[in-house]
Amino acid sequence: MILQTQGLSRRFGGLKAVDDVSFAVAEHTVQSIIGPNGAGKTTFFNLVTGALSPDAGRILFRGRDVTGFGPDRLAEMGLVRTFQRTSIFRDFTVAENVSLAIRSRERRNQSLFLSRADEERIDTEACAIVAEVGLAGSERTIANNLSHGAQRALDVAIGLAGHPRLILMDEPLAGMSQGDRASIATLIVRLREEMGLTVVLVEHDIGMVMRLSDRITVFHHGRVIAAGPPAEIREDAAVRSAYLRGSFAA
Amino acid sequence: MPLVVRRPVRPLHILGWVSVLVGALLPFALGSQPFVLQLASQAIVAATLALSLDLLTGNTGLLSFGHAGWYGLGGYIAGLGAKFVAPEMFLVLPLTMIVVAVVAWLTGLILVRQIGKTFAILTLALSQIFYSLIFVASAWTGGEDGLQGIPVPTLAGLSIAAPTAWYWLLYFVLIASLLLALYLRRTPLGQAWLAVKSNPERSLFVGIPVVRLKLIAYVLSATLAALAGGLFTLFNGAVSPDTMSWLESGNILMYVVLGGVGTLIGPVIGGAAFTFAAQYISSLTDAWLIYFGGLFVVIVIFAPDGLFGLASVFWRRLFGPSRGQVAR
Repeated sequence: MILQTQGLSRRFGGLKAVDDVSFAVAEHTVQSIIGPNGAGKTTFFNLVTGALSPDAGRILFRGRDVTGFGPDRLAEMGLVRTFQRTSIFRDFTVAENVSLAIRSRERRNQSLFLSRADEERIDTEACAIVAEVGLAGSERTIANNLSHGAQRALDVAIGLAGHPRLILMDEPLAGMSQGDRASIATLIVRLREEMGLTVVLVEHDIGMVMRLSDRITVFHHGRVIAAGPPAEIREDAAVRSAYLRGSFAA
Repeated sequence: MPLVVRRPVRPLHILGWVSVLVGALLPFALGSQPFVLQLASQAIVAATLALSLDLLTGNTGLLSFGHAGWYGLGGYIAGLGAKFVAPEMFLVLPLTMIVVAVVAWLTGLILVRQIGKTFAILTLALSQIFYSLIFVASAWTGGEDGLQGIPVPTLAGLSIAAPTAWYWLLYFVLIASLLLALYLRRTPLGQAWLAVKSNPERSLFVGIPVVRLKLIAYVLSATLAALAGGLFTLFNGAVSPDTMSWLESGNILMYVVLGGVGTLIGPVIGGAAFTFAAQYISSLTDAWLIYFGGLFVVIVIFAPDGLFGLASVFWRRLFGPSRGQVAR
């Protein structure tokens, strides 16, 4: 298992946002987390990526206890995330966005000097990553001028620059046009199949989740009420009553 | 495009170096007008001070309402050092910078974890603490009367008293600081600062140590302000508590906004222009601050990149696109 949580809990006042969640992700899989609004998915994401600290429980990443580690440290270890609202460096060019993340991986972000050769090597790698997410030709475009879907792809590219093992994507399809959704879905499949990554998704588009995921975990009121392959989740009575109300379009 | 691009010589570079040269030759033109030379020296200090604030605000987006605190603190430390230890600049100024860097580092550990209004208010509070310390230690600092009787300083043993010598010394410090700031902007550190300014949350998830980078900018900014304060005190022979008042902090912020936040060169122009304009316009009308207030409002609304941003727009129309001139 690349990522595991054991008895993870987090309260906000009287609300148990995440309540005793044990969760595991196998390497080279796409695993989705679904659940109604307020089920605790985003809080869980924030706990795992170090944006929030848990009140109880442990987080293990690649076998190591990383409970309480901050996002920068987790990123260095290979755990990166993308955001529900696309989060990029808007006034940097596309390639500069990715170069920045590469320099961060190489711990050069506090350097006062970078040789010409290093600059060119980093730029070349940045352009290769930009091409991998389907943005070839846009390297020198200011990120703010990209389409919504392309910005989301750039968000993924920034994550990839850190040479991650695991990428957590918070609603990658939210607010996307039909065409953009298809290209992001294709990218998610490629992350696993071509780049050998493990992907954890929080996503509301059930049809897409059913198609993309190897395994699905269902959250409700901060707890896990079901976990299994898509076919199993589709038939789960508790899931149907809590969340899906008996209807599966997919 | 690689981070640092060796561009061919362009009109802007020529203009920049010609301006630097003109500035250096100014004392020859002003030989018969010591008052203007004195004013020019003050303008250079204001420009250095504005640059120091832009190192913080322009690089990381942290807005300080108390920057004069560092200026005044530097002034008092240098003044006390010159008066009670030795008036040697190579001793007093490095000492001032080290002390202020340590104080900035210690306070910054708490302050830079805050953002937006909280940070701004805390900087104001800190500068007010420095301000009141002057009165607490009035036996040493002279309290409300200010620190007087600072001896004429020496530079490597040579007495620096001539106005032209002062002008060139202050000018050298300004240009050296500006070149350093422009160089830093192009380094990975400078780019990471801009990333923190652009999107602090994403920076953290990319693995950038956001707090540490903000702290570096904060300490650097305070130290340069203290150097400006130290130099001005030695130049002036006295320092008063007004140097660290909130009014002075407001002035510094105005230089930066007027010149163009984050452009580094803009605030330098803003500081110098504001000093000259304040002198000449105030002799024409008592209501000059009202006009300045109006100008400030107009600039914030219509030219958020300041005078430098406006000049860049015109420049690009004249000489074609040149991305990167208006620093992000």
